[in-house]
Amino acid sequence: MALWERLWNTGKSMVVGHAITLREMLHKPVTVCYPEEKPPFEHGSRSVPVLKVNEESGLLNCVSCGLCERSCPPSCIEIVQAVGADGKKKPWPETFQLDLSHCMVCNLCIEACPFDALEMADVVELSSYQVQDLIFDKDQLAELWKTSKAVRVAGGEQI
Amino acid sequence: MNILLAAILKAIAIVLFLGLNAFVLIWAERKISGYIQRRYGPLRVGGPAGILQSAADIVKLISKEDFVPGGADWWLWTLAPAVSLVPAVLVYLVLPIGRTVVLQNLNIGLVFFASVTSFTLIGIFMAGWGSNNKYALVGAMRAGAQLFSYEIPLILSTIGVVIATGTLTLQGIVAAQVKHHEWFVFPQIIGFVVFYIASLAELNRTPFDLAEAESELIAGYFTEYSGIRWTMFAMAEYSNLFTTAALGVTLFFGGWHGPWLPGWVWFLLKSYILVFVGIWIRWTLPRVRIDQLMDLGWKFLFPVSVANVLGTALYLMVR
Repeated sequence: MALWERLWNTGKSMVVGHAITLREMLHKPVTVCYPEEKPPFEHGSRSVPVLKVNEESGLLNCVSCGLCERSCPPSCIEIVQAVGADGKKKPWPETFQLDLSHCMVCNLCIEACPFDALEMADVVELSSYQVQDLIFDKDQLAELWKTSKAVRVAGGEQI
Repeated sequence: MNILLAAILKAIAIVLFLGLNAFVLIWAERKISGYIQRRYGPLRVGGPAGILQSAADIVKLISKEDFVPGGADWWLWTLAPAVSLVPAVLVYLVLPIGRTVVLQNLNIGLVFFASVTSFTLIGIFMAGWGSNNKYALVGAMRAGAQLFSYEIPLILSTIGVVIATGTLTLQGIVAAQVKHHEWFVFPQIIGFVVFYIASLAELNRTPFDLAEAESELIAGYFTEYSGIRWTMFAMAEYSNLFTTAALGVTLFFGGWHGPWLPGWVWFLLKSYILVFVGIWIRWTLPRVRIDQLMDLGWKFLFPVSVANVLGTALYLMVR
């Protein structure tokens, strides 16, 4: 009987369908409520290049060679090499400015760096009402590196 | 004077309940649909679970511009939301909320309910015709065909209960169920299934929301409405959702009958469980086609409900 078959199939699919939606309803939602709970970053995600600090000496790894400055396509990095009291150039930056409003997060500065002084951070909450606030100096970039490390450790990543 | 005062108080009570009901149900529907889709639904506005979302919505809707489309038939167009809201308010008169709590115990309660709810169609058709918009008109035509087709099985499915009790007052139907300690859903299971499917179709809700069908008709008959007029349609829809569930509870689930708790608590509890089932169905099933809808109404629900009436009558005659 085609009619009974159709009725049976209808009833069966109704029961199965409603069981599926009820089961989904009782599960915890997959939504991450962003400002309160933060999703872990994927490995290799990029947000802003930051300056690494040597753990032992507490100084920057950067030797102010200028390769990142040259490799930067939008020219957002600006380095002034330190000059000592004796008038000779020293292997650390006097100023290291990064204009995040220009940075396109291409990773080329990090690839160019021969001293492992730059790294992509996992910090994303950097928005600001003033463009001037997006120009980071070397102390701010080192600070961002520490924040980013804390984010990664909290996310369970091995450093 | 006392009668007048009582009438005014009853009217205020109905309007308050209608507003509160829409307030809660809109929030509940968004919450339930969210959880079915593994989301949270409203979360931020007021309180722990976004309970004041509807209040924010109402403030937004009231503050919108009162826009009338250029080619609209002004009288039909502006009156339509009110006309669809009036039957939603009137049906509360006959609902038996508790053992003695009923606003007006009419001796033709069930007929009153059925006739008043069919007025909803007039509001919908006024909106569709008055909008001077092809989508609105198609939506209204569909709503007309659908509401007319499903009114018949809806009423026929309740007749089994009426035959068994011999009364048309809703209070009397509940009293009969209390007397026999048996809810009519068990002997009248076919009647209940037909009633529930037909009432979902009467409410224009998914899977029978052809009159709105946002993927085909934008919003059907209320395409051109916005702001407070749209709110009136939404309030009527959610009020009808509650009242049809309440009618189902009255006819098939013993109304206010239940142990320990007071009657009106049982009545509201059972009604909101049926409302929840309606929301659950809405977020599970896809929309049917218009020919499938007509097939279901005329070729399945109508003969089944007629057979149910005949079977009940024969059983009561030979018993």
